[in-house]
Amino acid sequence: MFPGLADYKPFLITGLALGGVYALSGVGIVVLYRATGVLNLAFGAIGAMGALLSWTLINHTSSPHWLAYLVCVAFGALVTFAYGVIFGPPLARRDPLVKAMGTVGLALILLGIMSYLWPPKARTMFLPSTSWQYHIGFAGLDVNWTQIIGLLFGVLVTVGVAAFLRYTRLGTAMRALADDREITSTLGVPVRRVEAVAWLGSGVLAGFSGLLLSDLVGLDAVGLTFLVISALAAALIAQLRSLTVTLIAGIIVGLCTALLTPILLWPNATFSVSTYRYGAPFALAIIALLVMTRGRRVVSISRTDR
Amino acid sequence: MDASTAVRVLVIVALLAFALLALPILLSDYWIVVLTEAAIFALVALGLNLLVGRVGLVSLGQIGLLVVGSWVAARFFFLTGLPFPIVLLISGVITGVIGTLLGLPALRLSGLHLALITLMFAGLVSIVIPTVNFPNGGGGVLGHTESSFGNPAVRRPSIAQSDPAYYRYTVIVIAVMFLLALIHISSKAGRAWAAIRQSEAAAIAAGVNITFYKLWAFALASFLTGVAGGLLAGDEGKLYSIQFRTIDSITLLAVVMMGGIYSLWGAWIAGLLQQLVPALLNDWFGFFERNPDFVLVLFGVGILQVLVTAPEGLVNQVPKDLRNLGRLLARLAGKATGRSRPAT
Repeated sequence: MFPGLADYKPFLITGLALGGVYALSGVGIVVLYRATGVLNLAFGAIGAMGALLSWTLINHTSSPHWLAYLVCVAFGALVTFAYGVIFGPPLARRDPLVKAMGTVGLALILLGIMSYLWPPKARTMFLPSTSWQYHIGFAGLDVNWTQIIGLLFGVLVTVGVAAFLRYTRLGTAMRALADDREITSTLGVPVRRVEAVAWLGSGVLAGFSGLLLSDLVGLDAVGLTFLVISALAAALIAQLRSLTVTLIAGIIVGLCTALLTPILLWPNATFSVSTYRYGAPFALAIIALLVMTRGRRVVSISRTDR
Repeated sequence: MDASTAVRVLVIVALLAFALLALPILLSDYWIVVLTEAAIFALVALGLNLLVGRVGLVSLGQIGLLVVGSWVAARFFFLTGLPFPIVLLISGVITGVIGTLLGLPALRLSGLHLALITLMFAGLVSIVIPTVNFPNGGGGVLGHTESSFGNPAVRRPSIAQSDPAYYRYTVIVIAVMFLLALIHISSKAGRAWAAIRQSEAAAIAAGVNITFYKLWAFALASFLTGVAGGLLAGDEGKLYSIQFRTIDSITLLAVVMMGGIYSLWGAWIAGLLQQLVPALLNDWFGFFERNPDFVLVLFGVGILQVLVTAPEGLVNQVPKDLRNLGRLLARLAGKATGRSRPAT
């Protein structure tokens, strides 16, 4: 009925690796939200298009691989930055829902372009780090370097960004911005420039996570776009606030989805938990949202300009 | 009834007559089917239009409810011999109940959080439905059989078996639903919703039961979506989970916003945008057949345009633009004839 412990082991690795990347994306989402009030729902779509561009460069031109990966990250940074600079200011005073809807518009545009330039077809992204395998003798597990990078960078980015926000002037300016944009601007902080840096940083993370996910999960535009939900679930569990919780939550989300995979026979073969494992991030996000707002009665005071 | 209302009623009746009598004669069967689906989506859009425009609640889970409505309707069509309208009502009510349950978290969520939680619901539905599948005449609770031979299609009303006849039937049902929405808007519920949208705190102070009216809005929107689901089941005959994607809930919001959320006409524009425009582009430019999702670019640009410049959507923007154009032309004409005009 239930798979034995040994059946779970490979999924422990994939879960941790994916969780690390979700944490990475989650940090990108949280920091951007705190600095600009924008919940970037196009995060996955941006990474997906960057990965597809890399794939095209690798498979249809003679570009060196490292250049293709750089293009992916640069594309992520560029598109996010451009969106932030063009659509950030006009929507800056609107409520978070309107700002998030803007990014949904961006996601739709990118999805449309991707479906045109890259018709649905099986494509694989194979990062060189995937071919370097480790065998962990005592646990009897095989790990590849892409998975290690996923988890490692998840931790490093979280620690790095947290340190950046705490110990640098720019980071402090960003935290001030997160608290109150208007007052921060009266203090002489170049608000738009600080926001631009936040957009840029978030974009770099989008490109990087897109690259990793295209190898770990698969190079599919719609699939990668919707993986933002997993990162979003992590960010929501952290109440869009704490980076450490984002890291832990990201790993939990990754582990949950992965560890449900081998449960193929419970409750029964047709409707096993395994078939519904991709619902785990959605369910976790719902729980996070409900817990986040428990005991709170949200009552609008007046309708701001919509 | 004053003059302007009388004119409006006349226009609506004229358009309805045109749609019912003239269009089936003028258009081929293919376009009649496209229009039927546009009308069905206009009904779904109406639900969202009411939620967003009248109460200020954004739901990204309407297609999830459409799935529920279609499923329930198909199950009842196969399970019972009840008349078509009764099954529509049943699917509407059941979807309405589920939508109300969904709205319960809405009582303490708003804005972004509500949109996110409804999106998660739509996502969950899209993950469950491929395994649960739609009823196709099989037995058991789920009414789905894996065999692909000789499965019956969902039945249509006896008076509306052919595509043009079913089109007329659909348009009439949907017109009735729009009337239902209109009645709501001009009643106490509509005034309560307007108060809630303006300021919940003021509404509470004025004695409006915002819990009840918010849930009522969800109930109505879900009821409309459930009825639309039933009509869709009859229209398609055979439903497949691949037709209902999570992204469709998002594009629905896009077209509802583009159509205009402050007027019920916006719902019609939304339905036409979602169904007719892709079909037209396909017809004119062929390449959409290979790349049906390219139209997403249009919707994405539409959202951004509406958010940044024209919150009232096309329904008000086009008349506004035409009025401005008219004024510009009048001014040019005045200059050309040498007549001096006072500054407008």
